Amino acid sequence: MTPRSPGDDGTSGTPADGGASDARDTAGRESTAAGSGRRPTRLLRRAAGLLRWTSLRLRLVVVFALVALTAAVSASGIAYWLNRNTVLDRTQNAVLKDFRKSLEDSTRSLPLRPRCSELQDAARQMAAGPQNYTVLLIGLDRAGKECAATTNKDLLTLKSVPQSLRNAVDQVRPVDESNHFAHHLYWQRKEVGDVPYLIAGAKVIGGGPTGYMLKSLATERQDLTSLAWSLGIATALALVGSALLAQAAATTVLRPVQRLGYAARQLGEGRLDTRLRVTGTDELADLSRTFNRTAERLEQRVEELSAREAASRRFVADMSHELRTPLTAITAVSEVLEEEADSLDPMIAPAVQLVVSETRRLNDLVENLMEVTRFDAGTARLVLDDVDVADQVTACIDARAWLDAVDLDADRGIVSRLDPRRLDVILANLIGNALKHGGSPVRVSVHTEPAERPEAAERTEAGERTELPEGPADEGGRLVIRVRDHGPGIPDEVLPHVFDRFYKASASRPRSEGSGLGLSIALENAHIHGGEITAANHPEGGAVFTLWLPMDASRLADGAERADGGTSGGGGEGTGGER
Amino acid sequence: MGQNGCVPFLLLIEDDDAIRTALELSLSRQGHRVVTAATGEDGLKLLREQRPDLIVLDVMLPGIDGFEVCRRIRRTDQLPIILLTARNDDIDVVVGLESGADDYVVKPVQGRVLDARIRAVLRRGERESSDSATFGSLVIDRSAMTVTKNGEDLQLTPTELRLLLELSRRPGQALSRQQLLRLVWEHDYLGDSRLVDACVQRLRAKVEDVPSSPTLIRTVRGVGYRLDTPQ
Repeated sequence: MTPRSPGDDGTSGTPADGGASDARDTAGRESTAAGSGRRPTRLLRRAAGLLRWTSLRLRLVVVFALVALTAAVSASGIAYWLNRNTVLDRTQNAVLKDFRKSLEDSTRSLPLRPRCSELQDAARQMAAGPQNYTVLLIGLDRAGKECAATTNKDLLTLKSVPQSLRNAVDQVRPVDESNHFAHHLYWQRKEVGDVPYLIAGAKVIGGGPTGYMLKSLATERQDLTSLAWSLGIATALALVGSALLAQAAATTVLRPVQRLGYAARQLGEGRLDTRLRVTGTDELADLSRTFNRTAERLEQRVEELSAREAASRRFVADMSHELRTPLTAITAVSEVLEEEADSLDPMIAPAVQLVVSETRRLNDLVENLMEVTRFDAGTARLVLDDVDVADQVTACIDARAWLDAVDLDADRGIVSRLDPRRLDVILANLIGNALKHGGSPVRVSVHTEPAERPEAAERTEAGERTELPEGPADEGGRLVIRVRDHGPGIPDEVLPHVFDRFYKASASRPRSEGSGLGLSIALENAHIHGGEITAANHPEGGAVFTLWLPMDASRLADGAERADGGTSGGGGEGTGGER
Repeated sequence: MGQNGCVPFLLLIEDDDAIRTALELSLSRQGHRVVTAATGEDGLKLLREQRPDLIVLDVMLPGIDGFEVCRRIRRTDQLPIILLTARNDDIDVVVGLESGADDYVVKPVQGRVLDARIRAVLRRGERESSDSATFGSLVIDRSAMTVTKNGEDLQLTPTELRLLLELSRRPGQALSRQQLLRLVWEHDYLGDSRLVDACVQRLRAKVEDVPSSPTLIRTVRGVGYRLDTPQ
């Protein structure tokens, strides 16, 4: 009649129930831990709405945070799980051992069929042990009536014992070699209200009473809850730490990247001497070195090209300069010849005339070449003066004996500040071109427009004169001179090239069409004033060249003018400003 | 200047043989008497020996250049100087005018143009009226073609004198640069206004008490210059 409790066989209890409640429990704990870790993630996600997803910094932070979260959550989960098992097992084993022992002790002193009061006494005795559990003893008294003795009627009665446990306890197992006892000690965890309990039961072998005990696990749960909180906080701290680390990592990675980006922009803006300081031996240092090498090569290449270009420009400039010395002598002498042409042999006279006229052409060509090289070298300067535009146009036409062929529509009194020689060059080229290709009547109209620049004027020529007048300089508006001919107009395929140097509309065109530089020089002269020339075809036929010039080009003639007047004498124009 | 109705006597300083020969030929045919020099040093020597009426001076010379020759001449002489410039650089013109040249022509130069400039420059020295005018301490004697300041004779080049005469003929009236170019230099409508500016600068340096704050020859912004009687 020894209670054949099956030793430490707790694990062979009802794994289904115990396991199930275990799983629920663990899940509950885990969700708490994860909840504290997910909050920063949600915040990050909200911040991501504000930040760019493409930002490398943000991506780094998110990746770091995810890694930290995964690591922290799994570490916490494992730690919690191990702890929980250890704590519960230890408590459980101690309780079950004590229960078995006291059940053995108290039933041994009981008669086979004890009275209810005896049973009650035994239960009370058992419950008085150090483990502080509630005991329920069920036995058959002498009358064969079932008697249930409990130390706490509210907590533990036969009804509150789960049926599955009761069945397991009551079950009689066949005794064989692997199983020495007909009854075992079974246990289960259950919750009453919010409090977790361990409930166990055993039947004393040999017809003794069946004992159940109920032990509160509230202390253990409390311990585990605080453990979970600690782990949760640790996870949160890990997240914050990882975010900070990511930030720091991003900064160390991104600062060189930013420097690289800045340097690349500088390079793109034409500062070819941009170099990066290379520190360390990492990939970014490698990249910096590559950047430096590339920039160096680029600079070399550009230097080579510009040196070559400068050399060819210098060549043209030198050549036209050199041409001028013999030309000066030839010109001076050819005039002498021209004056004598009438008295020369009629066979010789045409030859002399040819020499004279071709010398003049050569002069024009060299003059134009020199002008072009001045523009290319950026040494062209404005010599500004206040001129009446109508007078200027009239004088230009008059000087070239074009008065009969040109129809001028210009009011006197439009006074503009510009370079009269350059305006003359522009007009002579535009009108001369119109007369040559378009044919008379050529109509020239002059008027002014309120300040508003043509978009085309945004285009700037190479060299230092890239500023366009703005604000006050444009207050006077702009001068518009239109030159329209009544010829066949300009073919569409030629239109974009009319201002190109030496552009010939067709290869078969006779060579006596001028130097091929006229319109290009006119355009350069307009640009240096901050103006523009456009070419178009009039809907009623004929080509229209439109020249825009600012009414006051003095903004562009920086340094060309200098006030020399004192306090009393007012301003004056100095001539030394160009030096 | 001493042409006295005779053939104008010119000194041509030019280093290039071909240009020198051609210009000498051309100018001689236009009715000038021409002596030539190939270097600035020779030219200065000839100037002292022969006293020409006018100098035609190339800018690019071996040894001392045209600007320096011009400056050296101006230290002692007020005779007219016409520069032959390459105008490869506009700076040449400015430097030339500042060193005291009266006019300039650009290579390749036509003989006729050079002749017209020479005659225009020489005409500046001719007297045309016989009165005088006083502007503060400045007395312009149009009959003697002299200008005195505080009783002292001022050494003016013919161009400076003519500029002063033209301005003094219309006291208080602003003359535009283009007007002055026509009146003094006899240039066509495309005259280089820097000629006027340079000449005004030189004139101020001679007639003004404080050249940097002129009281006689005043700049009129957007127009040109005028001669005022000081208050």
